[in-house]
Amino acid sequence: MSSGWSWWVIGLIVFNLGVTFFLFLWAPRAKVPVLPDGTTGHVWAHGVLREGMHRLPGWWIVASFAMYFIALGYLVLYPGFGNHKGALDWTSGKELAAATAANTAKLDPVLKRLAAMSVEAIARDAQAQRIGGRLFIDNCAACHGRTGRGNPSLGAPNLTDEDWLYGGTGQDITTSIRGGRSGVMPPWNSLGEPAVRNLVEYVLGLSGKPYNTAAAAAAEPTFKTTCAACHGPDGRGNPLLGAPNLTDNIWLYGGTQAAVETTIRGGRQGHMPAWSPRLSDDDIHVLAGYVYHLSHDGDADTK
Amino acid sequence: MAYRHFESVEKHAWMLGILTAVMVSLGGLAEILPTFVEATRVKLAAGGKPYDPLRLAGRDIYVREGCYLCHSQMIRALRFETQRYGRFSTAEESVYDRPFQWGSKRTGPDLARVGGKYSDDWQRVHLMDPRAVVPQSNMPAYPWLATARIDGADIAARMRTLRRLGDPYTDADIAAAMSVDGRTELDALVAYLQGLGLANGPQPAQAGAAAAAPVARTSP
Repeated sequence: MSSGWSWWVIGLIVFNLGVTFFLFLWAPRAKVPVLPDGTTGHVWAHGVLREGMHRLPGWWIVASFAMYFIALGYLVLYPGFGNHKGALDWTSGKELAAATAANTAKLDPVLKRLAAMSVEAIARDAQAQRIGGRLFIDNCAACHGRTGRGNPSLGAPNLTDEDWLYGGTGQDITTSIRGGRSGVMPPWNSLGEPAVRNLVEYVLGLSGKPYNTAAAAAAEPTFKTTCAACHGPDGRGNPLLGAPNLTDNIWLYGGTQAAVETTIRGGRQGHMPAWSPRLSDDDIHVLAGYVYHLSHDGDADTK
Repeated sequence: MAYRHFESVEKHAWMLGILTAVMVSLGGLAEILPTFVEATRVKLAAGGKPYDPLRLAGRDIYVREGCYLCHSQMIRALRFETQRYGRFSTAEESVYDRPFQWGSKRTGPDLARVGGKYSDDWQRVHLMDPRAVVPQSNMPAYPWLATARIDGADIAARMRTLRRLGDPYTDADIAAAMSVDGRTELDALVAYLQGLGLANGPQPAQAGAAAAAPVARTSP
């Protein structure tokens, strides 16, 4: 704040405190003319209501006087009197830094202990599960759901089953969280109308769903030359690419005929954002342990 | 001052009103006026750019739909806020917002640094049908955004107006506004949201510090 504005603020404070303090000193001593009946002569409702006259209570005067000391004490200790920084040198930034440091001091021993453990071991640690569960709800639940069961409208995978797109070891999960993941299935509408419809039947057949055998047989060469590049010749997928296993009847975007057709025609580019540096490495480590726990220790216990 | 002066104030409503207004306004004159006047000196650090045409359109849709009524864009310097949302907001980050979108109420979460937290797909699904991704959400759906189209000439006109107000748009920037002609309002709003806290966020010097110290920390 420039010194001009500083003096402006100081002037307003002095004026405000000055006026009110003058009134405070003057009002209890003011000579108010009183009528013989003890009222001031102010009347309402044609004289039905008359204004009485009483001294201010002592406690009110004492309390008001104390307010001036509190106001002056505040202006001395804290910023507010123009550019005066206050005797305590308080700033919101310092308060934030102190609160953050206090929290870090409380949390760091826990995170250090967990950082020394493997993701798989963290999955069995009760304290880590409480921290990880909180992180999961704040950051992951929007796509994967509060219970980690995924969301087919986004292609967000179910994290509570045994099926992993990019591998399910602690290291794999940590890598997924830290760097995010991006699906890269291109659209195949260009294959032509009969080829797409036949491929849908072939893919349904891979997962053991009812399908049209003639159409699937017709699609087999297309699958082997086109789809197999990522999903493998037997359709079991490839965790290096995040190409899903098509034989297990677990579906990212739904396993109905219509959903599979949409996937083949338009491709899928599901995207998981990178959580580094939004989350610290220690946080990601704990979170990976929580995700590992989801698929290895039963359902999430978060509500 | 004698009692009769006091009585004359009390008995003349216009005088009582004026003197009351003077005393009541002191707080605002001290707290609001100086920062209001000095706000014109707040400048984005070097390298900061005003909104590109698509995000500008998205910002105006954000205002039109009243998103600010439930979402703030103001992370306060409090530990539990910086922990959840990231580094606290600064005045520089809002220099191209007319009006600023700090908001005063959070029915939903703060959005000051939501950019990149979710995928574009998530933002689209969430705006079309919030319950599809967050079952307990009470946010309304905005399905008309997917069909409403943006008028590039209109966006160019807005950019010319903002240039008159001091935003450093070049002629080339304004000519580029036609490239967003025909995009959906959903595209624009998602682009705006995905830039929040990034495109006009921590500037190079601060970004380095932010990278060194992660923006969010756990709570036990």
